[in-house]
Amino acid sequence: MVTEEQLAAYADDQLAGEEKARVEEAIEVDPALNAKVEKHRALKTQLSAHFAPVLDEKVPDHLAAMLKTASEDMQADTAQVVSFAKERQKRGLAQSLRRWAPIAGPAMAACLVVAIIQPWQSASSIDGYADGELANVLDTQLTSTQSANPDQRILLSFEDADGEFCRAYQTGREGGIACRDDQGWAIERSFALEESQATEFRQAGSLSDIMAAAQEMAQGDALDAAAETKAKAQGWQK
Amino acid sequence: MSAPSFESQVLELLPRMRRFAIGLAGSSSDGDDLCQMTIERALTRRQQWQEGTRLDSWMYRIMRNIYIDEGRAATRRRETFVDEDAGLSVGSDGAQEAQVELSMVDRAMAMLPDDQREAVLLVMVEGYSYKEAAEIVGCPTGTLNSRLVRGRDALMKILEEAA
Repeated sequence: MVTEEQLAAYADDQLAGEEKARVEEAIEVDPALNAKVEKHRALKTQLSAHFAPVLDEKVPDHLAAMLKTASEDMQADTAQVVSFAKERQKRGLAQSLRRWAPIAGPAMAACLVVAIIQPWQSASSIDGYADGELANVLDTQLTSTQSANPDQRILLSFEDADGEFCRAYQTGREGGIACRDDQGWAIERSFALEESQATEFRQAGSLSDIMAAAQEMAQGDALDAAAETKAKAQGWQK
Repeated sequence: MSAPSFESQVLELLPRMRRFAIGLAGSSSDGDDLCQMTIERALTRRQQWQEGTRLDSWMYRIMRNIYIDEGRAATRRRETFVDEDAGLSVGSDGAQEAQVELSMVDRAMAMLPDDQREAVLLVMVEGYSYKEAAEIVGCPTGTLNSRLVRGRDALMKILEEAA
């Protein structure tokens, strides 16, 4: 006696060994069973053909955007690229980035695709130190009081492992992290920034990359408004 | 490059996830809503996925759990509104006759109970073995097998009557 379940399982090629042999025998002597197997297979063909076109449809942008990471955006670039996303994931940085987010709030508005470039490729760091307007911004601008959308934006301030004050900034299409030593603002990191028609997911990913770079250098939390004001008052030096 | 990121692996699965979601929910718009909820949950729970195990099974399990938990009511709420995507037909190309036949399949699928529909989709459309499908659903293989048989018989009956 062959059950309906066995028959369907046979049609789906899910049986093996003795059970399969038994169903095969039954089918050979009973055309009705054979017809049923054929119907099962025909239905399967019909259903898979029915849903197959979905695979060829363009995936809706809003779904794909949820899965776009900054590292993948950058893969398209020929520039030398460093993926912070992986590192971040490995070290569970997401948690600590969230802690930083309120302080870097204004930077959230920036749509940045970040590629790491060598310091000597960056115009603002030819001699390794910030000069002119950038130095001025680093000296004076506070994240808590800067205008909503300044040309030169301080993303956040922090102390690095050497106890120097460092600031992540964005000026137009360049960004970086500068730390104040005895001589001035040493450019520690440079980023080429590209304006893009980014979704909020890409923004967050790109911001996270900058934050991750800062996080890597930082000792402790980002400076809050009070700490930043105090640091400014003492000329960003201890 | 190192191994592809979690996101890019899910992105690669997305067309298949949409196929399953549209099959479950019954229309493109509801299916994409279901996909969105699934991706959201997968991203927040990514730590729970064990590298080396099949990501597709894991994603499908999340998706069917959302669909069953939230209930069809949640994913079908949109049908009360006029929505150009909310037609019964999944396919949009092809001759008029093909269209009629396609929407017949959709209608028949929509008449199945959820547990039978997911069994039918996982095995007959997504191509999982009974064992794999049972693991995704979280039921014994025998149970999956009998749901599948009932689903198939119902589909055949509906489609034959319509023919």
